[in-house]
Amino acid sequence: MRKILLTTALTLIAGAASAADKVVVVTSFPKDLTDPFKAAFEAANPAYELEVVSRNTNASVSYLQETRGANTTDLFWASAPDAFEVLKAEGLLAAVDVAAEGIPDSVGGYPINDPAGMYFGFAASGYGIMYNTRYVEANNLPIAKEWEDLMRPEYNGHVAMSSPSRSGTTHLTVETVLQGDGWDAGWAKWKWISGNMSTVTERSFGVPDAVNSGSTGFGIVIDFFGLASKASGFPVELVYPSLTAIVPANIGVIENAPNAEGAKAFVEYVLSPEGQQVLLNPAIMRLPVNPAAYETAPEGFPNPFTPEFAPGAIAFDVDLSGSRYTLVNALFDVMITYRMDDLRAAVAAVQQAEAAQEGKDNAEAKALIAEARALVEALPITEAEASDPSFAGVFQISRDKPDVEVVGRQAEVEQAWDAFAVANYAKAKELADQAAAMN
Amino acid sequence: MEKSGIRIEDLHLSFGETTVLAGINMEILPGEFFAFLGPSGSGKSTLLRAIAGFGPAPRGRILIGDRDIADLPPWKRNVGMVFQSYALWPHLSVRQNVAFGLEERRLPKREIDSKVDAALELVGLLQLADRMPAQLSGGQQQRVALARTIAIEPQVLLLDEPLSNLDAALRVQMRRELLALQRKLGLTTIFVTHDQEEANTTSDRMAVLDGGVIQQIGTPQELYDTPANGFVAGFLGTANVLKGQVSDGHFLTIGGNRLPLACPRTGADRIVLRPQNVTLGPAGGEGIVGTVSHREFLGSSIRYLVDTADGQIIVDTLHSAGQTGQETGATVSLRVDSLNAPLLV
Amino acid sequence: MSDSFQPTRPSGRFTLFPRLSGVALTGLLIAIFLMAFLILPVMQVIYVAFLDARTGALTLQNFQDFFNTNLFRESFVNSFYVSAMSVVFATIIALPLAYITTRFTFAGAAVIQSLGFIPLIMPPFVGAVAMTLLFGRNGSLNLLLDQYFGFKIPFMEGLNGVIFVQSLHYFPFILINLSASLRNIDRSMEEAAQNLGSSGLRMFRRIVFPLAMPGYLAGAALVFIKVFDDLGTPLLLNVNNMLAPQAYLRITGVGINDPMGYVISFILVAFSVFALWVSLLFMRGKDYATVQKGGGGLAKRDLSQREKVLAWGVILFILALVLSPHFGLLLLAFGTIWSFSPLPDGFTLQHFGTVFTQSSQYIWNTIIYAGSAAVIDVILGTAIAYIVLRSGLIGRKWLDYMATAALAVPGVVLGIGYLRMFHGVELPFGLGQMSSFWGLIIVALAVRRLPYALRACMAALQQVALSLEEAAESLGATKSSTIRRIVVPLMTGGILAGFVTSFATAAVELSATIMLVGRSSDAPLAYGIYLFMQSPSGRGAGAALGILAVVIVALGTYLSQRIIEKDRNRRAAAPGTDH
Repeated sequence: MRKILLTTALTLIAGAASAADKVVVVTSFPKDLTDPFKAAFEAANPAYELEVVSRNTNASVSYLQETRGANTTDLFWASAPDAFEVLKAEGLLAAVDVAAEGIPDSVGGYPINDPAGMYFGFAASGYGIMYNTRYVEANNLPIAKEWEDLMRPEYNGHVAMSSPSRSGTTHLTVETVLQGDGWDAGWAKWKWISGNMSTVTERSFGVPDAVNSGSTGFGIVIDFFGLASKASGFPVELVYPSLTAIVPANIGVIENAPNAEGAKAFVEYVLSPEGQQVLLNPAIMRLPVNPAAYETAPEGFPNPFTPEFAPGAIAFDVDLSGSRYTLVNALFDVMITYRMDDLRAAVAAVQQAEAAQEGKDNAEAKALIAEARALVEALPITEAEASDPSFAGVFQISRDKPDVEVVGRQAEVEQAWDAFAVANYAKAKELADQAAAMN
Repeated sequence: MEKSGIRIEDLHLSFGETTVLAGINMEILPGEFFAFLGPSGSGKSTLLRAIAGFGPAPRGRILIGDRDIADLPPWKRNVGMVFQSYALWPHLSVRQNVAFGLEERRLPKREIDSKVDAALELVGLLQLADRMPAQLSGGQQQRVALARTIAIEPQVLLLDEPLSNLDAALRVQMRRELLALQRKLGLTTIFVTHDQEEANTTSDRMAVLDGGVIQQIGTPQELYDTPANGFVAGFLGTANVLKGQVSDGHFLTIGGNRLPLACPRTGADRIVLRPQNVTLGPAGGEGIVGTVSHREFLGSSIRYLVDTADGQIIVDTLHSAGQTGQETGATVSLRVDSLNAPLLV
Repeated sequence: MSDSFQPTRPSGRFTLFPRLSGVALTGLLIAIFLMAFLILPVMQVIYVAFLDARTGALTLQNFQDFFNTNLFRESFVNSFYVSAMSVVFATIIALPLAYITTRFTFAGAAVIQSLGFIPLIMPPFVGAVAMTLLFGRNGSLNLLLDQYFGFKIPFMEGLNGVIFVQSLHYFPFILINLSASLRNIDRSMEEAAQNLGSSGLRMFRRIVFPLAMPGYLAGAALVFIKVFDDLGTPLLLNVNNMLAPQAYLRITGVGINDPMGYVISFILVAFSVFALWVSLLFMRGKDYATVQKGGGGLAKRDLSQREKVLAWGVILFILALVLSPHFGLLLLAFGTIWSFSPLPDGFTLQHFGTVFTQSSQYIWNTIIYAGSAAVIDVILGTAIAYIVLRSGLIGRKWLDYMATAALAVPGVVLGIGYLRMFHGVELPFGLGQMSSFWGLIIVALAVRRLPYALRACMAALQQVALSLEEAAESLGATKSSTIRRIVVPLMTGGILAGFVTSFATAAVELSATIMLVGRSSDAPLAYGIYLFMQSPSGRGAGAALGILAVVIVALGTYLSQRIIEKDRNRRAAAPGTDH
């Protein structure tokens, strides 16, 4: 044992000494994506060695924040632009001049690169509904194509998504619907969908995993999870609802990177035509940002640069999203994730009441149902409040900025929301149960 | 082997409030077989372990020859100790056990081998050298423990109740072997026991301990015949201690009996009567009058407990076949050979 | 440990080995190690709980907020409920097994012994995945039930799912401790009870079980704390209304500087320490079992034919439950696509091919990390046991307390503490950043698993009669020589057992390592499995890696068990212990 250790230590020391050109990238991407890129990059640039540190998006951001004092990371590589916005705001990203050709300014109305040049889109992603064909068949379910479909009672217990606070990509999906439908209607939609959920997972990959294994029928996922699962042979399909946002997955160089040259080389490689081709690897299946790359894409592969793709796609407002990032996460968790049982009970009660009153003309019952629906949909704060910095600031307290005025503490606010939601859900269930019992 | 005596000077030891050794002073002569005798809790084992260097460190001096070893760690004392449990290392063979101390002394391999053989030969176990301790009987284990200790040629040999784990027959045999071995090696030896017979039969001299204090030191016979106090008298054999005073060449008991003395000691207030020095006769004769309250048949003798004006007196009478002796309840008369009976002040 | 040191004897004061500067030095070094790698990092994390998030001033406001928040109060109650119920179910599983092995001559004893270990060597991540595939809402069992009987059983839903998985995972702690206690009970205790007219179950309840109580309590406390602190299982089952997941979610969430995560961490640690302390209090003065030396355990009797059938029935049922995650893992590892069906569509060796070509570094890393951690653990464990049991060092008990406190520290908290404390510390020899240095993973694993090794070493040293050491010393062996030649060889069995437990559990540990792995080339198996399991095509490969982890650990365990057995047989009925 001692000998093994010794040799290992020596090898590592020797390795560390000789590898001056290590490029360290912190990423939320799975092995399936990073391994082909690592191999291709190292083949194209033998002088560099890519070292991959895998963490989920949120942990990556925490990691970069915690380690900023003595940074060892060259690159951050992840999907969610929000995370890059957070890093950018904290001065953790470096502005780099990168040479790339053939990449347009925007995809689906979304600018591909950060205007300040601090991070770069390298692949586009849309959000969609992934479903398990065997599950759908066994349960005799119609295929949900739009977000609205998932609100219908027949999907009760058949849907899964992950919490936006755990998954940067899910956060984007949530925010897309909020921006597309508006604050109140958007939240209402999420609540009715969530009422049909079997589970809110704590890992973004938990959703495709659940759909793949058939433990749930439908999952709200970023497109490549569905595409890659299908490519791996699982009996699953992916549909893009018409309201979606095409958002680039990004890469950015960390401020004060130990190997800034290597970092730049990797960014340039990822954006090069060869690098873009790697995205079409069956295990990756992400949409390249270089339109030329689609020429070699397999049949049926979605192309966001065509006009027929996702006609309802909205222009995603990154600034708005960034201003209420943690607030939206916290609100979702308090109203939905942590109160899943209460919400499910209320939604199920409303669905049953509506089914019971179907075709009847009981005005009193209808009024009760409407009241119950309003209670389920009620929000503890308005959109204006959510964007008010002094309120949103409660969720972004930082000892670096003690001068920012905020009202209250996060725990205090969350408790108020929680009490609000629990009371409303209970009342809604009560009213709906009353309505269901009426003739 | 160099012969060294042991001198202990003013040794004190307490555990918190409890005094375990209270000012021990003694001298053990070179080559002597010396016993520490006492009931459990008397401090005899603590004293032995203090000499070996185990347990809490006492105050005072312990000299072996001219060397004060009180401040030395156990491994520098060159004191051989045989433990009550033998403490053979179960993971080492007999030979490895015996070789251990020699290896610690960094002796050449060849010398170790010959010394181990010699030690095992001495205890008669050479043929079992490659066994594991678990494969030996109790007596054999005891011999290995002895061989292991002797092999290092210690200046003194300490034996901590070495015979207590053996059965009765083996115990007698082993104590004779032990004595023979000690005589052969001429090793200064301390033997701790609570069994007075063991101490009597083996030791040249012994110290009787009680309550952390040495009660008396002397040859077994000295201690038996002239005990320094009631404790020693009672601990070495059975004793009847009668209270009274010396008067006019006699001991006048509080029960009103007059016992003649050969050398009356002034100021004595107790007399020690051994049971075999009292003769039991039918009532009416001369002597102390009493009633038999209990009798025990011991084989070679019969022991009577007799209630008298001076309290209960134990009497042993030799038994010969056919005799019935006195019955319980009989009134008897006790005649005492008191001329040389020890007197206590 | 120096033997040339000539001390002056402190007179009057009671110290067992006043001469041992070596022991004092060792104790000091261990104390420094534990301070640096356990106490201070944990403090680093939990002191945030006492800071005002905005001003950085000291405050108790956060605790007030904690208790004012319904969600946290509910989480606390849920955590408590799940832990208590897990103890109950773990007891229900462990009690019959312990009873059967200790009371009867039973051919299945070996099976039970391995039962006591198998669940602990399942990488936490894959265990829950496999369990979901078998017992989940649309798992194999429920699909079959639904198809043939038209109903499903919600094994894995909500808190019940957590209790189900946790009791299956942690019952060995109770089994091992309870069996050991039962085995230590003097046969005469039982005979005395029988002599006085007690027998059967009644005697077991009134005499045997109370005597075995300390062992049972030790195991039960461990299960309680483990479940209370465990993060992986609730997270994988998507249960978040419990304390540990709440802490994790709040600490690792993006952009969140919410102090609540730290408050919860503090409460987790404090409550676990409290639970340990209560169990110790309860056991104080009740440790009868170790007072009775030898005795050969309870009298064993043969089972009647009917009882044999019953016993095997119980054991096979439990075995099936316990092995189900492993079985599920096997199916995953050899299966092609497994989706909404009782069994995979087909079988393949491809996943193992992937693992062997891509991931051999995970295997080597694991062997090196877990191996070194276990070596460190047994060295520290032996040293601490020796200091606590054999020396008069002041504060020696605190070494034991500190090392044992590692049980009460959730892995995430330790991981974050290391990041906080060691980041920015540059190591010499080009080893780079301390916080991303692979050696730190070893240290984290060693600290996390030290309590297991320590218990084993303590128990082993308690079995070594003091006179065996004194004999060596009186024959001229110094302290260090005595330790090396007598104490350690006599502790071999216990040390090996400690090594195995540390190694096996460290090999599948994820919660602290996930925070500390600096680069994937340094990652151990569990982390590799985690990475694989993050992509659709990696599920099979991840499972294959999981199977390899189980095989490695099982092999290691088997080999050590063989050595222990051999060692035990060689010196059966050892002298020096009184019979």
